[in-house]
Amino acid sequence: MVKPLPMALRYALQALAYLGFAVVIGYFSTGPAYRQLGDNEAVLKLSFSHSGQLKFACHERAAAELAKLQPNMRNKMDCPRERALVRVELDMDGLPLYRVSTAPLGLQKDGAATVYRRLSIPAGAHHFSARLADGPDGAINYAKEIRVDLRPGQVIIVDFLTGSGGFVFTRG
Amino acid sequence: MTTATLGQRAFLGLEKFFNTFFGERLNPFYHLGAIAYFLLWIVIFTGLYLYIFFETSVVQAYASVEALTHGQRWVGGVLRSLHRYASDALVLVIALHMLRHFAFNRHRGFRWFSWVSGVVILWLTYASGINGYMLPWDRLSQFVVTATTEWFDVLPVLGGSMARNFISNANVSDRLFSLLSFIHIGLPLGVMTVLWIHTQRVPGAKTNPPRPLMLGWLATLTALSLWRPALSQAPADMATMVSRLDFDWFYLPTYALIQHWGPANTWYLVLGATGLLLVLPWLPQRAGAKPKAWSMAAHPDERIVAVRAGETLLDAGLREGMALPFDCRNGGCGVCKCTLLHGEVALLPYQESALSAAERSAGQTLLCCAQALSDVEIDYVPQAGVKPLAVKQYVARVTQRELLAADVMRLLLQVEGGRRLAFHPGQYINIVLADAAKRSYSFATAPDAGGDIELHVRRVEGGRFSSAVFEHLSVGDTLRFEGPLGAFTLREDSDKPIIFVAGSTGFAPVKSMLEHAFAIGMQRHMILYWGVRSRRDLYLGELAEQWAREHANFRFVPVLSAPLPEDQWRGRSGLVHQAILEDFPDLSAHQVYACGSVQMVQAAQPAFAQHGLAGDDCFSDAFHLAPQRPLQGQDADLVQLGGTHG
Repeated sequence: MVKPLPMALRYALQALAYLGFAVVIGYFSTGPAYRQLGDNEAVLKLSFSHSGQLKFACHERAAAELAKLQPNMRNKMDCPRERALVRVELDMDGLPLYRVSTAPLGLQKDGAATVYRRLSIPAGAHHFSARLADGPDGAINYAKEIRVDLRPGQVIIVDFLTGSGGFVFTRG
Repeated sequence: MTTATLGQRAFLGLEKFFNTFFGERLNPFYHLGAIAYFLLWIVIFTGLYLYIFFETSVVQAYASVEALTHGQRWVGGVLRSLHRYASDALVLVIALHMLRHFAFNRHRGFRWFSWVSGVVILWLTYASGINGYMLPWDRLSQFVVTATTEWFDVLPVLGGSMARNFISNANVSDRLFSLLSFIHIGLPLGVMTVLWIHTQRVPGAKTNPPRPLMLGWLATLTALSLWRPALSQAPADMATMVSRLDFDWFYLPTYALIQHWGPANTWYLVLGATGLLLVLPWLPQRAGAKPKAWSMAAHPDERIVAVRAGETLLDAGLREGMALPFDCRNGGCGVCKCTLLHGEVALLPYQESALSAAERSAGQTLLCCAQALSDVEIDYVPQAGVKPLAVKQYVARVTQRELLAADVMRLLLQVEGGRRLAFHPGQYINIVLADAAKRSYSFATAPDAGGDIELHVRRVEGGRFSSAVFEHLSVGDTLRFEGPLGAFTLREDSDKPIIFVAGSTGFAPVKSMLEHAFAIGMQRHMILYWGVRSRRDLYLGELAEQWAREHANFRFVPVLSAPLPEDQWRGRSGLVHQAILEDFPDLSAHQVYACGSVQMVQAAQPAFAQHGLAGDDCFSDAFHLAPQRPLQGQDADLVQLGGTHG
């Protein structure tokens, strides 16, 4: 049989155990610090939701085609809903920064194409060039260039809004 | 004791060390589940207070948390810190709790549900905590919402649409922020719901740690809150990102991975790890005997309960409502010590201080660590102050009275509602009389036979119940009884030949056992010695002879102690146990089941032991007259030892 420790010592050791636990909880609750960005880095966020052009043009159905359809489906015009891929090219200081081709959402591929990408870039002055193709032929039909000076930690958002004429660069 | 794995040795070593100064009753390792409960209560109650002052708008959220933290430093500030630190401790304790169960292999078999629900609780706790970090709307909130939306956006359906909600300050609306706050109520409610289900499945689960432990944890977390108050970082600003963040490594390590490995890879890791955790109960284990289900007969309950494969005797008993004593449930305190009367158990690793080698060799075992390797019989001291579940009571109608001999009546009883009673061959019921006095009678048919309950009632001069059976009881009358009870049952986990010894109506439980043995096709050699005074007392002798004709592995030997001249008896005479000893001078390779009067059983047991019968192979059930009544008095009756007799 092991001789039990004196009560005072037992309480002291219990206190020590609780202290150790408190130190572990207290320290790892806030530390070590996590570095999410370099000291001299800025952030570029490319984010937009844009519906590409319809992939196929409407065509008028022939009588034979109409006859094959159920009576309630016999629309004279056939307009496929599928939209074209949206392709984006983003260059920084003349060099490719990001390239992406995004398919439209939806089972019929008739939704918007959504892009989100966060990139760390060196802070400082940069020349950005953005191009977008949303037609079935894949030809670039929107483009914009901009020169910006970014502070460390500053965020620049590259959005695409058709109503605003295409690419929109917003600095935080 | 089963061989301890590395994990088990690590836990046992730590627990042994903690036992030296916390003691076996207060060792936190033995109360991890209950401590997790306690921490969750702290989180919930502090959270309710914080919610009163929290503004669920994106503009006011940060300011309201700051006002709470600094404006009411000694209440809001402390409670906010307690909320944070108790949440961190909760994750740590849940992880330790799961790790311990994994190390001790307590996640397999029927425990899969507890394990899987535990995994769900862990993830819901994580989700709640991470969601909580979104609310102060500081730099860490900004990081967490950004990382969360980026993480979910790689899923095929979302594809980048979630992150747009937090891409700039203008995009974060009050409605969106209110949604985040609402989620922070919904997720903890989910945690509590699953935790409740998780706990319901554990028999006798303790959801409160001992009070000194509660005080210790609360004091520690409060001291920590005063020493290092939980503070907000700079306000969130989507237009900029800070390079360094004070980071909660209990909740957010996955978020560091999202940044470094990318969202998709982190999904693979998290889903893979979750899948692995979920299938752990079914993964093949190290070679060894696969656990089987057995039964446990327990005194003083006089009940037999099923023990599921891999279940400890403690869990099996608690599940059935027995008042088994226990505290730590982890082989540390020794409170659940009991005597193992029959059968074999494997002991999970335990502390030597809880069960010494001497105690073990004296037949004692720890209920919380004992897993049955055969049918077992235990004797324990019920937990003081805990009322065991009452034995089930039934009402039955008399369907038949048949005089089998001048002083033996066969009673057939049908349980009301046509219910079939599950019992083990050899068990008995207590007939409950009007004044709650009880009279015990064994089942006389095999449990598999179905049909009515058969009892053999021997008339005792002046006996209240037996006299009523012979004089007043009629078909259609109802009786109240409780049961099934008793640990005198047929053990099917042996190959040894069986000698049944019946005295008088001790034939009834033997009949039940034999009919069960025949029904299941038992091939062991069985011999019945039925000792009675004269030939007329062999009230079902023809049935026993018929069994002998029909079953090659069965023999019947009637033994008369006082044959009458008209019996013209040429069979065995004398005391029944002496007849057995003449036929079997060496009983070391046999099992004996003896049921009859106290005198018969008390004479037979030592004599059999002298002839080599092992203690583990001798099973007996003795009749005696109801103890509170004088022999031949008005209340005299036959009952069985071990019954809940009045």
